[in-house]
Amino acid sequence: MSSIRRLVIDLLKPNEIENVTFARTIADLDGVEGANVSLLESDKDVQNLKITIEGENIDSGVVTTAIEDLGGTVHSVDEVVCGDRMVEESSTHQD
Amino acid sequence: MSSRLADLRELLKDEDVRSISRRYFISNGFDGTLTTIGIIVGSFLGGSQTSMEIVRVVAGGTVGLAASGVWSVWEIERAEKLAELKAVEEKMLTGLEGTRLHDRKGDARKINAAMSGLGPTIGMLLPIIPYFFVGVALSMFWATVAGVLIGVGLLFVFGAYMGNLSDQNWLVAGLRTGVVGLVVGGINIILPG
Repeated sequence: MSSIRRLVIDLLKPNEIENVTFARTIADLDGVEGANVSLLESDKDVQNLKITIEGENIDSGVVTTAIEDLGGTVHSVDEVVCGDRMVEESSTHQD
Repeated sequence: MSSRLADLRELLKDEDVRSISRRYFISNGFDGTLTTIGIIVGSFLGGSQTSMEIVRVVAGGTVGLAASGVWSVWEIERAEKLAELKAVEEKMLTGLEGTRLHDRKGDARKINAAMSGLGPTIGMLLPIIPYFFVGVALSMFWATVAGVLIGVGLLFVFGAYMGNLSDQNWLVAGLRTGVVGLVVGGINIILPG
């Protein structure tokens, strides 16, 4: 089974757990080389984040568990890149 | 264990946790200090108690106030933090039991309760230190005066600290709280009987 090299996740999390904590926790997971956390939306209690994770062999189950342990909920997995090399999204006429 | 300590360290830096703990510490510290000033002045004026009897009365009061501080805050913060958690859970559309946020709120509650109990413990025990020197270096009168002054000093420190925190003049803020100790002592002196 080919390994996951990039994962882009849209999630909701409580404000009280800092974005830095999310980024650090995910970046420290096995198979992950780096993580980018971007704030999409914020209200009084919760924030909507987009997390981009890159690595040689990302375990999506472990990532989801780590997010849930921190109190986050995965809304959607917006991008997955698998295989020996990183393939970027290609544009289509509809774009 | 080390991750638990790291979480605790992170929590101790959290301004919300610090702010709530500070309020309980100072508020209950105030209660404890003023109660002790009242007890020692009243006991001295009563004239029938030995120094160790006064120490025992204040120590008993300390247990009561510290237990009240810990217990009440434990329950208050349980309710407050559960309500906060429920508000977040409603927005998240999921339960948060067992998550880092849930644990964090539990740990914050422990810190709040501990600081709430520590305030009156310090506030009540420090002013009775001079009574341990009665018969050695101090008379009952001077032990009482020293006890009141320690209490006033503590109240001054509480006020100065809050003044410093809020960018007020710490000296004025300290004097404003310190004088309450003298007022309590004064009221005890003019009480009938």
